[in-house]
Amino acid sequence: MLEISDLAKRYGPVVALDGASFTARPGRLVGFLGPNGAGKTTTMRCIFGLARPDRGTTHWMGAEIDRLTRLRFGYMPEQRGLYPRMRVAEQLSYFAQHHGMSGRDADAATMRWLERLGLADRAKAKLEELSHGNQQRVQLGAALVHDPELLVLDEPFSGLDPIGIATMSEILHERAAAGVGVLFSSHQLDLVEDICEDVVIIARGRIVAQGAIDELRAASERRHLDVEVEGSGGAWLDGRTGVTVLERKGDLVRLLVGADADLSGLLSAASAAGPVRRFSFQPPALSELFMEAVQS
Amino acid sequence: MSRWRAIWLVARRELLERGRSRAFLLSLGLTVAFILAGILLPTLLGGPDKPAKLGIVGTPPASFAPLLAQTAERAGVKISTELVQDEATGETMLRDKNLDGALVFDAAGPPTYVVRERGNDAIGQVVNGSVQLSGVLELVGQAGIDQAALAAAGAPPVLRELTPSDPNRDTAFLFANVGVILLFISIFTFGTWVLTGVVEEKQSRVVEVVLSTVAARDLLMGKVLGIGLLGLVQLIVMVSVGLIAGTATGRFSLPPTTFSAVVQLFLWFGLGYAFYSTALGVLGALASRMEEASNASAPVSILASLAYVFALLVATDDPAGTAARIATFIPPVSPMVVPLRAALGAIEPWEIVLSVALMLASIWLLFVVGARVYSGAVLSSGGRIRLRDAWRASRN
Repeated sequence: MLEISDLAKRYGPVVALDGASFTARPGRLVGFLGPNGAGKTTTMRCIFGLARPDRGTTHWMGAEIDRLTRLRFGYMPEQRGLYPRMRVAEQLSYFAQHHGMSGRDADAATMRWLERLGLADRAKAKLEELSHGNQQRVQLGAALVHDPELLVLDEPFSGLDPIGIATMSEILHERAAAGVGVLFSSHQLDLVEDICEDVVIIARGRIVAQGAIDELRAASERRHLDVEVEGSGGAWLDGRTGVTVLERKGDLVRLLVGADADLSGLLSAASAAGPVRRFSFQPPALSELFMEAVQS
Repeated sequence: MSRWRAIWLVARRELLERGRSRAFLLSLGLTVAFILAGILLPTLLGGPDKPAKLGIVGTPPASFAPLLAQTAERAGVKISTELVQDEATGETMLRDKNLDGALVFDAAGPPTYVVRERGNDAIGQVVNGSVQLSGVLELVGQAGIDQAALAAAGAPPVLRELTPSDPNRDTAFLFANVGVILLFISIFTFGTWVLTGVVEEKQSRVVEVVLSTVAARDLLMGKVLGIGLLGLVQLIVMVSVGLIAGTATGRFSLPPTTFSAVVQLFLWFGLGYAFYSTALGVLGALASRMEEASNASAPVSILASLAYVFALLVATDDPAGTAARIATFIPPVSPMVVPLRAALGAIEPWEIVLSVALMLASIWLLFVVGARVYSGAVLSSGGRIRLRDAWRASRN
């Protein structure tokens, strides 16, 4: 388990982290969310010793993270970068060896991952000869090639096309299923909602929400209720209290109600107005939880 | 994984990636070509030591040949003679440049000295003197005066040099100068590679990935080490080619100081390179783009150039003088001055030991300070960073 405790970090007058604490469990995809400047990258840099926190600790599997622990981690920084003139396979093998693999194991792992990433035929090409998308794959390969126990990826989906996104999510799922810890930051909230089990939301250097997405949604006091009554034009709602109308579109109305709303009462009111075509009661989407959390 | 393995991985990458780069192979090939050209061309075109050829037509007086040899030796010129059938043949040989002069002895009149045009006066004087004296000796000999006493009386004065001529001195001087040039070129070529390598890593952002497993100071050390090994390879090739080609063509014979001069050359390449490349690598980390790198490195480049000019002008002129002695103990200057003084045989062993110790201490200090600045600067993005800010940032 990755445990971040009370992490604080200032850059001159700028407070990057202000006592951030959270945990990330191995075997689960954890989305690390937050507005720009909230402290995501600084947190990741603290995990990798690239920034030294003013206060707080980072632990992996109960032990403080040090240089040797980090060799078992894989990192993909927000600012992508590899050696442009170095050959793809030699480059991956180089990084694998820096993580402690022998030359032979590193070469074997490199070939395995190039195969997996669909780049086996470009093994001997120089990085700069590859397309942008393929360079991104090599970058992911550099984080994965040594079979890390923990993957920390800063905006891994940014700049990827839909196929790239699909490949990336597939690989992350596969790693998590293999028991690896996966923590990644993203601004694509719908995507995170689709593929992650857990999220950590950070704002102004503090963690404002964390846990399983389903639980966070279920714990919300609010629900969305979509009701479509044919030919009603939504008139059945007029004069009704205890509901907020979010949106009206023809016969369809979207309502904001409490988690304890009287669904039977609402359904009978709708039925009385005409044939009910849709009646859907949903907890709020991750994007709404996010907005709520960072604005509070 | 040990720190040393990480350093070695970095060094090996530099060695392999740059060792097979076109830039390195081209620079190696060109340097070897220049050295070979410098040594072989003068030999092929005829060196200055080739003796002048004098053609003799007719029969010279008996005393002419020994007199010519004696006078030539005293005057420090080399003259070889060969008999030529007649004056016409001699003229043809002169025109074809097979002779440098033809001396015609004709029983009917005075001897004639035929040359292409007035030129080498030293040879002309030797020939004139020998002809005149042998003519006089011939006449006086007929008068019954002792030939030996006459020859002795006509001989030029014995030459005595206050500083005995040493055939090795010129070679030592040549070695010293070429050595300093090689040192400067090597230190700077490969020091600059460290500089650009650091900026490239920063500019391509790969440094953040590397630093997630390697400590900044180890990355700097590995880089300096790997590129330094490459520089050593180039220096070994240059020195070997120069020495082998020079000896094989007879351009110079190796003075007894050769071995120690070569050892000093390598020693001071190692020390000078370690000092300057570390400084350049640290300054490179302060730049964010390649265009800024030369600005950032200017202080070190200027310092190295001054040290080089000082070595060539002052230390060559008076290698045992006060200025050269003081410079021996100033670390940024000593890599150029000490090998030069050593090659000229004008340095005491204790001076070498002390200057090496001072150099090692300053490299260590530079590395400790530099590694901290480097780790503070190498991850920062944006414009050029000030030294002081980088020093502070490294605490973060």
